[in-house]
Amino acid sequence: MQSIPLPTSRRRALAGSAVGFGWLAARNLLAGTVDHGLPVRARRVIFMFMKGGPSHVDTFDPKPKLTADDGKPFPAAKPRVQFAATGNLLASPWRFRRHGACGSPVSDLFPHVARHVDRICFLHGVHGTNAAHGGAVLKLHTGSDTFVRPGMGAWVSYGLGTLNADLPAFVTICPTLAHGGANNWGSAFLPARHQGVPLGVASRPATEARMKFIANPRWSADVQRAQLDFIRGLGDQAAADPVLESRLESFELAFRMQRAMPTVEDLSGETRETLALYGLDDPVTANFGRQCLLARRFAEAGVRFIQVTHSDGKVQWDQHADLLAGHGEKAAEVDKPIAGLLEDLARRGLLDDTLVVWSGEFGRTPVAQGTNGRDHNPEGFTIWMAGGGVRGGFRYGATDDYGYYAVDGRMSIHDVHATILHLLGVDHLRLTYRHGGRDFRLTDVAGEVHGAVIA
Amino acid sequence: MALRRLLALSLLLAGAVAPGQARAGEARLTADDFTARVAPVLERRCGHCHGAQRQEGGLRLDSFAGLVAGGDSGPAIVPGSLAESLLARAVLRRDETLLMPPAEALPADELALVTAWIEAGAPHPGGSLEPPPPLPPFDPVAERAHWSFTPVVRPAVPVVAGAADPIDAFVRQALAAVGVEPTGPADRATLLRRVTFDLTGLPPSADEVAAFLADESPDAFARVVDRLLDSPHYGEHWARHWLDVVRYADSNGLDENVAHGTAWRYRDWVIASLNEDLPYDRFLRRQVAGDLLTTPDTPAAERNALFVATGFLVLGPKVLAEGDQAKLAADVVDEQVDTLSRAFLGLSFGCARCHNHKFDPVSQADYAALAGIFTSTRSMESLARIARWQENVVATPEALAAHAEATAAVEARKGAVAAELASARGAVAAAGTDPATVAEETLPEEVRQRLTALRAAVAEAERAVVPLDTAMGVVEGTPADARIAIRGDHLVPGRRVPRGVPVVLEIDGPLAIPPAASGRRELADWLADPRHPLTARVIVNRVWRWHFGRGIVATTDNFGRLGDRPVNQPLLDWLAAELVDSGWSLKALHRRILLSAAWQRSSTAADSPTAARALEVDPDNHLAWRATVRRLEAESIRDSLLAVGGTLDRSMGGSLLHVANRAFLFDHTSIDGTRYDAPRRSIYMPVIRNHIQDCLWLFDCTDGAVPCGDRGTSTVPSQALWLLNGELVLGVAERIATSVLAATPGDGVPRPLLLFRRVLGRSPTAAEERLVAEAVARITARLAEAGTPPAGREAAAWTAVAQGLLAGDEFLFVR
Repeated sequence: MQSIPLPTSRRRALAGSAVGFGWLAARNLLAGTVDHGLPVRARRVIFMFMKGGPSHVDTFDPKPKLTADDGKPFPAAKPRVQFAATGNLLASPWRFRRHGACGSPVSDLFPHVARHVDRICFLHGVHGTNAAHGGAVLKLHTGSDTFVRPGMGAWVSYGLGTLNADLPAFVTICPTLAHGGANNWGSAFLPARHQGVPLGVASRPATEARMKFIANPRWSADVQRAQLDFIRGLGDQAAADPVLESRLESFELAFRMQRAMPTVEDLSGETRETLALYGLDDPVTANFGRQCLLARRFAEAGVRFIQVTHSDGKVQWDQHADLLAGHGEKAAEVDKPIAGLLEDLARRGLLDDTLVVWSGEFGRTPVAQGTNGRDHNPEGFTIWMAGGGVRGGFRYGATDDYGYYAVDGRMSIHDVHATILHLLGVDHLRLTYRHGGRDFRLTDVAGEVHGAVIA
Repeated sequence: MALRRLLALSLLLAGAVAPGQARAGEARLTADDFTARVAPVLERRCGHCHGAQRQEGGLRLDSFAGLVAGGDSGPAIVPGSLAESLLARAVLRRDETLLMPPAEALPADELALVTAWIEAGAPHPGGSLEPPPPLPPFDPVAERAHWSFTPVVRPAVPVVAGAADPIDAFVRQALAAVGVEPTGPADRATLLRRVTFDLTGLPPSADEVAAFLADESPDAFARVVDRLLDSPHYGEHWARHWLDVVRYADSNGLDENVAHGTAWRYRDWVIASLNEDLPYDRFLRRQVAGDLLTTPDTPAAERNALFVATGFLVLGPKVLAEGDQAKLAADVVDEQVDTLSRAFLGLSFGCARCHNHKFDPVSQADYAALAGIFTSTRSMESLARIARWQENVVATPEALAAHAEATAAVEARKGAVAAELASARGAVAAAGTDPATVAEETLPEEVRQRLTALRAAVAEAERAVVPLDTAMGVVEGTPADARIAIRGDHLVPGRRVPRGVPVVLEIDGPLAIPPAASGRRELADWLADPRHPLTARVIVNRVWRWHFGRGIVATTDNFGRLGDRPVNQPLLDWLAAELVDSGWSLKALHRRILLSAAWQRSSTAADSPTAARALEVDPDNHLAWRATVRRLEAESIRDSLLAVGGTLDRSMGGSLLHVANRAFLFDHTSIDGTRYDAPRRSIYMPVIRNHIQDCLWLFDCTDGAVPCGDRGTSTVPSQALWLLNGELVLGVAERIATSVLAATPGDGVPRPLLLFRRVLGRSPTAAEERLVAEAVARITARLAEAGTPPAGREAAAWTAVAQGLLAGDEFLFVR
């Protein structure tokens, strides 16, 4: 998408001397800060966050031994730090079947996603650091469960810039306000323009997901144009200053963004068939389906990092009790929309360079909490990726026989981040920002790219 | 530890260790195998962190002696014993707290070799068993040469023509060195606007502008400065600066966003302290150790204020749902150490939690010394999920007495219930049975009625108990020295370090901390010592930054090696010496600065006779050759809008939080219940971490998570969207338009004049009047095209124009 040329003014020449100001001219927004000479496999990311912690042993990581030993004690030590008291092994109530040419197993919770396993790379050896939601959500999004750090979308914006100057580089659709809230999409010490733009909030339906202040309740675009000209005229009366010059340009950009955002958010041009593909015709799937369809439209329009969040005002994927009903309900809400997004991206040729990531903040224990629930389990769980240069139809890493600990192909959250950045052509070791006398990274002082997952 | 080392050595020296059995696949290992095979593995896999260059945890694995000597956790090997050899435990990954190498386990063959070698009694070629020489310790003399660690020596004021004021003499001297002449003075209207925002965060009223412009006496400006310093709004504005430094917030943020329901008492204490010009050394000491500064004679109000001041130590974000309580405890202390060091010393000690500071001379031992002061302090009531921070009672004597009386009444009425029950049960209990086993339901009806009435009386008395006021703060805990945490891991403790301060910054040697005290009082005294090289420098630099937009040391929170050097150290040191000699008066410091020509300069580059050279050698105005054009801070933007809109509520203090202390602001429901509708000054609006009020967040206010003495100024389109589309600006514009139109019925009256006076406190130029007229005409035409009825067009057009003025540069920037 082409941006509209900016009006020039007599003060433009001064802009070059404004060293020290983060935002100089709109054209600079297009540019990122890095070129690491790595192959660029993915140009953008769609991150699907399943808040609460979906159970890996009930979805994508089947454990026959768990079924066989149902009700018996877990034969090894449980972790030193656990969230809640747990009992004996609890078999999954769902049946797993092999799918696709690759034969990757998927439980009956995800019949639609199962049709895309040949596009999906499962990471079964992921492990986190925190057994509570807040710490784990922050860790997944920012790499730290101890300090306030920029979100990964902010790092991507900082590293790669935007593909469309009229839109934000990073949007997060219906984000959760709990467990870190805005910290999860914040820019922390990175320049403010890299923070995610939230559209709506998890407690409200996706039909209300809009960027704040994007529409004027009172003035037409013509009136606003006249207002902007007035502001510019007033500015021209005063002595020249580069700061003020860049401010005028930000008004022009805002004016254009005000036109561009509603265009992306308007689904009226989508065919009935497409709406149905995402499940917008079914009240069960309509809310998350809308988020996924918006994600595709933002991807098409040039947004770098798009997050969709499956959460709501209730308990999300957090079945400490009543796993069967809870996971059943949650999976039914997202299965078809996720599959629809993968299919739609593929049909449009976007999947090749769009990295789709599916993750919760942790998995769940193979042992029971109460009689029919599972506790949080950061020791081993599954994240999956599709498109964007990952090796489809592949299962990488493993948990133990029961699914408690990651034992093979172990990937820390830092490793996941390093690998995502690598797919984007960014070297996580060289994506740094100097703050408080130190160079910071998304991956802190850790992180390894797991080459095995790359196609 | 020492015993174990001794044992290992004696076994070796006596040759008492029988050659161990090699593991399967390993022939009997000999001394040569160490050199040829084991040492290279250790070098390749461990040498990066435990070699000649780096010694993480004090451990070197590049010699046999290093293995035996070990590091902070003790010897790395105990020959013959895998169980006792930390090296074996680490590489076998038996212990989740000790996984080495951290990234990836050793390949199976190397693992087998290393463990077999240890089991075999660690045969090695002869040679010294002396531990390798320890790392050269920090050389305090050499390290103290860093500019900010050297004592402040009051520099002589240079003699500079045309610069009678000492600040001007220092500034002009630095400018002369690069051949730059400063700009001339700003015009008086600009100066008044600048100083009013600078000291109070609010715009001057039109009357104040007129009065100042009419006052031709030589001390007119000095009197304005005095007037503003005496205004209670001074304390509000400068408290906001300080709150940035101490990462103030009304909610925890981080993982569990619960309300800091009593934090506002600390905020109000800061405002009051600044308004009364509490000397900075006392201001500092109270925040670190206020609870320890009371005596039995301290009046109650003063005692309570001293306890409130220690809220500084408790305000930080905490992972309240952390399941690992030991980690939570260590994290809380870490946050305190880091905030304290950044806020008062401009140094970040946090790095030294895990390793000796890579750049500043702060060792892990120094960190443990400081941490011990805070582990000896009670900052948390409970570490169990969801953890609770410490709150101290800060009630008035009257409230305490009333509370005691009300509580006694509750107890008395409970006693009446018990007595009634006991006597009734005694009356009916069968002989030989315990009366307590008599079921209440079996008692006679009239007894049960009396019990119901008595219990109602208890409930009534309980309702009459008014909870005592509390405030976040600390008290003394259980004094004990802290241990070094190996690699920062609280589960791998190293040696204990006496409580104290970093060696490089000691003034009279180690702090003399009584065994029964945490050491906070001694720490506070050390920080406030007039000879401390950092305390005064750091605060005068902060004040300079808040007046000029840029510190003499640009990195206000980092005076260490990676921080910037001062652009004018004589000036900084002179100000620091002045501060101490003035009895640490911040108001005296403000006067000094504001009355200098340096602060009163024009911001227009062309007003310097050497503008071209100045722009070339100092484009960012490091040396203060002109005033810097600065955008208002977020709070001032909102407050100014409310002020010019005529709705600003100037009442002071108190809490606007709408949820109870420790209640969730955000839980898993993501329901947004925050309210920011009160027209109070922004400093009184709740600071909800992770969910800062839009207009403040958009304009770069801090998130209250980490200390920040140097806010950024971003320019992003979302700010423009808020100004153009937000309800606040639109509402203010509408009120202004209404008043402009109401005041001037009929044509020919200069409405632009009224509009400019109301928004900018000045008259428009002829060109500006023309711009307003044109804009009104154009917008009226657009409104007509859009079908706005004629009756509504004028008010709408003036509203749109007023909004343009509010969104414009002059309203939002100070020149």
